[in-house]
Amino acid sequence: MEIKLLNKSYKKNEQFYNDFLNDTIENNDDYFTDEIVYIKEAPDFPIYMAKRSEEVRKQLFLEAFETVGNHYLDSNRELHFDEQFWHSLLVLKKRDFLLREYPEITESITNFNNIVLKNFDWENYIYKTVIGAEYITDLVEDEAKRKYYNEVIVDNLDLYNYMIKYEVFRNKQFVFNILSIVDELELSSVLKKKITWRDDLGDDPRVGRQVLLEFNKAYPVVMSPMLEKEELKEIFMEYLGYYVEDADLKVLV
Amino acid sequence: MIYKKDANFPYPVLTNTSNSYESGGFMLNVNLKENTDTYRFDIEYEVESDFLKQLIARKQAQLFLIIQSKDNKFFKLQPDERAIEIAKSRLSINTRTSIQMSIQATTNISFRDNEDINDFYQEFKNDIVVPKHALLGFSNTVIFEGSSTKPFDLFERKIDATLKSDIKVELGSEMIVIHYKNEDLQFTGMPMSGTLNNPYIYMGLQKALHRFATNPEYGEDGHVYLDDVELPTDQLDAKLYRLMKAKMVYELDVDSLDEVIYKISDRVIEKYATAVKGLEASGD
Repeated sequence: MEIKLLNKSYKKNEQFYNDFLNDTIENNDDYFTDEIVYIKEAPDFPIYMAKRSEEVRKQLFLEAFETVGNHYLDSNRELHFDEQFWHSLLVLKKRDFLLREYPEITESITNFNNIVLKNFDWENYIYKTVIGAEYITDLVEDEAKRKYYNEVIVDNLDLYNYMIKYEVFRNKQFVFNILSIVDELELSSVLKKKITWRDDLGDDPRVGRQVLLEFNKAYPVVMSPMLEKEELKEIFMEYLGYYVEDADLKVLV
Repeated sequence: MIYKKDANFPYPVLTNTSNSYESGGFMLNVNLKENTDTYRFDIEYEVESDFLKQLIARKQAQLFLIIQSKDNKFFKLQPDERAIEIAKSRLSINTRTSIQMSIQATTNISFRDNEDINDFYQEFKNDIVVPKHALLGFSNTVIFEGSSTKPFDLFERKIDATLKSDIKVELGSEMIVIHYKNEDLQFTGMPMSGTLNNPYIYMGLQKALHRFATNPEYGEDGHVYLDDVELPTDQLDAKLYRLMKAKMVYELDVDSLDEVIYKISDRVIEKYATAVKGLEASGD
């Protein structure tokens, strides 16, 4: 499949939005660079999961992980981490899909920008999916196990988001190790707990985020991203102890 | 993730900029090679502390190579390991990519026998114990701003008002840089201004190819048989090499540089001549 790449003028551009609705983008050379990229295939997958029920959101994520993991990760990485590529693909090749799945984009340019032209960073659902699918695909061979770990990500999305947001943690092995520890020790619900018993921790402190913050503070005296899972586990439990009573932990381990 | 500035550590750390260690540092040099599917990083490094070298040999410390682009990748390096390969589907270096090496303690390390640290620390080194998992040293950072996947991007233009000549052709690390004393010399604003610069392109190619032809690593007496040459590690030479191979140039000789330029440069002079004739015809 051949995809013409958009130039930067498309962002926050009311005319571009109207042209998208009227399906008149493709023939307007003003919107494009000279560059064309080729990809083998580009099957549909959910690109936006907000404002859905927890159960629906989980299904959408799993579908996205699977499709991206199976079809989008063989190209050069600079392509599947390229914002312009994704925006060009969506606008040029996925218009019908977008209008069908996300009809709210016809309601306002804000919705359109927020769903289709969202910045390609850790808050973008495609970004979350690309990086998660890559990590799990690379580290887990068995198909059923992959599905399982994809679920672990979705069940611990707050923690996952926090890890891929911060440079020090954005590493395949570390993300996987932390999720495995959480899964193995069934810490998911403890880590999601809001910390109501301390008022010195800023807005919306959660146990899981605080534990990661401790890892962040300790780096590089504890070079956590490079540690083996078992080493990491000990330190994880130590930091968890800063926020959760010993008695509660004993029940868990 | 990668250290660029001196952080404050509660114990001596080996770096090229800190003075915790008496002399020496931690030098890293990386050469990038690639084929269609894979990047290969050839690594040279020097840990200039016998104390740390011994720890590494005894596995009390571990060497890491860190590659940071969209995310971080770590590679445990064995002391004799000098290359890392990564699929292009798993690493992008068209965005800024930084590479650094670090040393991590794998056990608690007493600095009692560390003779390499400076006088300040010598006095109380018996009391220094660096905990397991901690950073013991980090190298300089090597940065790639893009790979050599675009061999035809050979030229860069710059304006430099302080130039002692009207133009200056310089061979940079990845590009042939044409410095202009002022913008006018680029024919900015004129029709076909790009093509009017072709004589400078020609001059740049001449200079770069001359250096290539006379490099004793590639050939003798200013004569190079390209099939006998491996892909050069110098990025600019690598681009020229690829370009020549793509254009079916088999030999390069200081006496036949112009013929080679003709083959590889897609009619720069012809296009220039057409542009000038066009300007004349339009009365400009």
